[in-house]
Amino acid sequence: MLLFSFVLSLTILLTSWVEASDYHEQLLLRPLPQSALLAAFNFRSNTTATAFEEQNFRYFPRSLGQILQHTHTKELHLRFALGRWDAEAWGARPRGGHREGGTGVELWAWIDAATDEEANARWLTLTNALSGLFCASMNFIDSTKTIRPVSTFQQEGDHSRTSPENLHLLHGALPHEVVCTENLTPFLKLLPCKGKAGISSLLDGHKLFDASWQTMAIDVRPVCPADGSECLLEIDQTVDMVLDIERSMRPSHDPIPRPLPIENIKCNTSKPYNGPDTCFPEDQTGVLPAWSLKEVYGRPIRGSCPLTDDSAPTVILEVPEGRDVRGESAESFTQSREGNLRLYQLPKNADFDLTLREQSLDSSLSLEQPPVYASRTFTGQGQERGGMLAVLTNPSPSTAVSVIYLESLPWFMKPYLHTLQASISGSDPNVAMNPLDSVFYRPSIDRQRGTHLELALTIPAASTVTLTYAFEKAILRYTEYPPDANRGFDVAPAIIRVLPFPSTSNSTSLPPQSYQEGSTYLRTTSLLLPLPTPDFSMPYNVIILTSTVIAMGFGSVFNLLVRRFVGADEVEGPGLAGLKARVKGRIQALLARFGGGGEKKHQ
Amino acid sequence: MFASGLPGEFSGVNGVGISSTAKPKREDLGLTKPYVPPLTLTGYDNPVPTSAGPKHVAYIFKSLAMKFTTLYALLLAAVLPYLTTATHTSNWAVLVSTSRFWFNYRHLANVLSLYRTVKRLGIPDSQIILMLPDDMACNPRNTFPGSVFNDKSRGLDLYDDQGEEGMGGIEVDYRGYEVTVENFIRLLTDRWPADYPRSKRLMTDDRSNILIYMTGHGGNEFLKFQDAEEISSFDLADAFEQMWEKKRYHELLFMIDTCQANTMYSAFYTPNIISTGSSAIHQSSYSHHADQDVGVAVIDRWTYYNLEFLETQITSTSSNVTLGQLFDSYDPVKVHSDAGIRYDLFEGGEATARNRKVVDFFGNVQAVEVDGEKGQEGSLAEWRKDLEALNNLIERQRVVMNELRNDSKPLAVKADNDNAEATVSPEKGGKGLFGGAKMVDQDYSWAKKALGAGALLALGSLWGLGSWMDR
Repeated sequence: MLLFSFVLSLTILLTSWVEASDYHEQLLLRPLPQSALLAAFNFRSNTTATAFEEQNFRYFPRSLGQILQHTHTKELHLRFALGRWDAEAWGARPRGGHREGGTGVELWAWIDAATDEEANARWLTLTNALSGLFCASMNFIDSTKTIRPVSTFQQEGDHSRTSPENLHLLHGALPHEVVCTENLTPFLKLLPCKGKAGISSLLDGHKLFDASWQTMAIDVRPVCPADGSECLLEIDQTVDMVLDIERSMRPSHDPIPRPLPIENIKCNTSKPYNGPDTCFPEDQTGVLPAWSLKEVYGRPIRGSCPLTDDSAPTVILEVPEGRDVRGESAESFTQSREGNLRLYQLPKNADFDLTLREQSLDSSLSLEQPPVYASRTFTGQGQERGGMLAVLTNPSPSTAVSVIYLESLPWFMKPYLHTLQASISGSDPNVAMNPLDSVFYRPSIDRQRGTHLELALTIPAASTVTLTYAFEKAILRYTEYPPDANRGFDVAPAIIRVLPFPSTSNSTSLPPQSYQEGSTYLRTTSLLLPLPTPDFSMPYNVIILTSTVIAMGFGSVFNLLVRRFVGADEVEGPGLAGLKARVKGRIQALLARFGGGGEKKHQ
Repeated sequence: MFASGLPGEFSGVNGVGISSTAKPKREDLGLTKPYVPPLTLTGYDNPVPTSAGPKHVAYIFKSLAMKFTTLYALLLAAVLPYLTTATHTSNWAVLVSTSRFWFNYRHLANVLSLYRTVKRLGIPDSQIILMLPDDMACNPRNTFPGSVFNDKSRGLDLYDDQGEEGMGGIEVDYRGYEVTVENFIRLLTDRWPADYPRSKRLMTDDRSNILIYMTGHGGNEFLKFQDAEEISSFDLADAFEQMWEKKRYHELLFMIDTCQANTMYSAFYTPNIISTGSSAIHQSSYSHHADQDVGVAVIDRWTYYNLEFLETQITSTSSNVTLGQLFDSYDPVKVHSDAGIRYDLFEGGEATARNRKVVDFFGNVQAVEVDGEKGQEGSLAEWRKDLEALNNLIERQRVVMNELRNDSKPLAVKADNDNAEATVSPEKGGKGLFGGAKMVDQDYSWAKKALGAGALLALGSLWGLGSWMDR
């Protein structure tokens, strides 16, 4: 009995240990139209709350864990993004836009703090620490770039352990920040397999930063299982990218596109000018390009990461059913099919490659339609004022969608809220006049904080909402201009949250267990705002010119005032006699003055 | 990186005898060849009276060694602990490019080449401060995304080498607008706010050798930062003086590749600095060659020939090549300008400075530090004692943890975060700057308009009343 209970407790201990910290990784590959390829990497590991507090780190990265503990951050979302998601061609965003960031760096976190001031101080410490960890200028996220969004962001984790009034959500964005290899290096170092094995071995800066669109995300959230067992802290690292297959397959030593030899081009022979040296290339739409992982990424997957659990497939390829796909490896591996999905489990110690040949297929994958299309541009001209124009389109023919539109504007761009207008143009002229449901606004203060504008809108079915407002551009101080002021100033992308249908505004309900169920997100591109920029050499010109003018004017007036002009013949010649006469004259003049003055007084 | 610990803590806190204690042990082991440590006789902390120059001392020692070997060993054992305080215990590198914009590609390539070299010779990323004011690798103009090359053969990617050796990625500490004169001076003098990340700080001490390499556009006694501001040679000299006063370096090698570079170190007045520059006053510093596919010049001449020397001559971290040999390799015909070297600030002057090994600045300290003074038994006993103390510490911690756990407060077991929390000055985390947005009232009712009209009317009548009373 005793032995039995011991064995039982041991098994429970072991299973709880296995549950306590585990590691998963998954790569989803989906060819998109126009020879694009979506590669979505996901790495997920976790740790128990106790282990985290005791600083026993297993798969959870210690460097990040200590920062989170130090700054009392309960939930963290960090994004590094580059490029534009072409929704017209590629459809809805992967992961419902939940793992996407605005161009540059975006960071938002829920921080546990008793007061606002404490939360702000911890937020600044967090941004500073993360800037050191991720080689990015996140220390530039100060009060002018920080906002507290009202209803755009939802907690993904379970925060029942922390009192809700102590949780502060802060958000900051750096649209100007470049994302490059130095950000990928620390990202890979957080992974248990460090990019040496498993799907992370494909992550190479040369390909990742050549992508048409890429976003790297780190998300930390507490997860409490429904059965009441111990809460876990989960870290979710994501890299989503869209590669141009043709571009990626260029040899790395010679990436400059050069025309193919005419023998290798399929010519359209129906053209009248077609000949041995003239060729109009045949229309290639409908022909799926040939590619392989090794050609696209420059290397195959280097075996599986030994820390992943074997049950789940690691590589998922989503292609039409008739597409020929060959998995290649020196070792055996498991593969299976589920509809359009091909599932692969990686071999333990051997390279793995996927090869697809050129094929023309009748069937193609249907793209998921995004719930809303959004674009944003500047209007107006001149150096003083400008306008913002955001166009939100609901493509659905039958259902209206509710969205929340968030903008965080820099302080030198001052919107006039009274000019904010939302108009609907669509198929049905009888729909509600005003799409604006509510407006949250916090005006900017020069050099201290930016504008925070958050709008709740309803877009009727098959119609377009146009948001416009006018703004004024501030004139910066001479020293406030960056070294490349003429480039313009980046304005962070607008964040659009599409509320789940039917639109509900109950934010008190439990957060969704997975982000697929809840609302979806999309972001516009960042904008480049030209500000009135001085000619930086001008102050020097002005200084030089004014100095010259002053020197000439002042000099001549001064000369007129202090100098006595006499004829050349009146000047006594040099020598002792002359000097003597001069001194004598001076003394006489002085005597006459004192003597004369005194007499005058007596009279 | 942030959690990679504090390298400064490990380096030479208890001054005397890290390598000194190792050396007499070689005598104990019965090495037949008398060991004459080269640094011991020339170090700046040399306790031998100044009347007897280092060479003189060396001569005395050598004659002694010839005549009375045993006496020599004894004497050496007695003197060594003082003499060898001159060695350094850590190496740091500050690599700064000061030019923005694509056409200055070569300046970033210069710095990245140096970065690769010092990393190859063993200085870890945590001890390299890399300042890149612009992004060349991921620049839209770059035909080779994610790569920076310093040669038109494009054999070596400086940004992220995927070759056999590899670089293990790249870590840029200061980039973009962060590369400013203020940040550079702050870095050197280590004046930062409390919550500044460690990876962006130069955490050196008086036993650290520092390599400072700068490149950019400059002129007579100034160097431009990002085309927006400039640092003068006097700023730099004063910063180094502060570093010296704060015991932030042991020896410093200052290298600069810019036009009229040699004027940049003319104002230095602090000991133990060896300086070298690419070009004399009124001379330009030229680029070496351009890559037609990159579209711009990829490296500067002086840096190119420095690298050529470092790549071909310094093949291992134990290389004995001296700085003198490196400086002698500067050929004005190849470099197209007159490279300058300044030795006079260095303790021991030109001869000593030239005898310093290149890896004393470009490589990391490799020596294994063995505490051999107590002999094998003694050190073993000390090791046991340390282990015991460590065990006690772990045991005590375990007891505390258990007590806390038994108090049925599972969340009470916490890292001591609160005491360690950095303070942020109040004006930074100021009130009212971070607050939330307020809901805007969208009520366009008649009441609001009536209120407005009423207010207007009241004010108007007040004005009318005033002017009537005035009459």
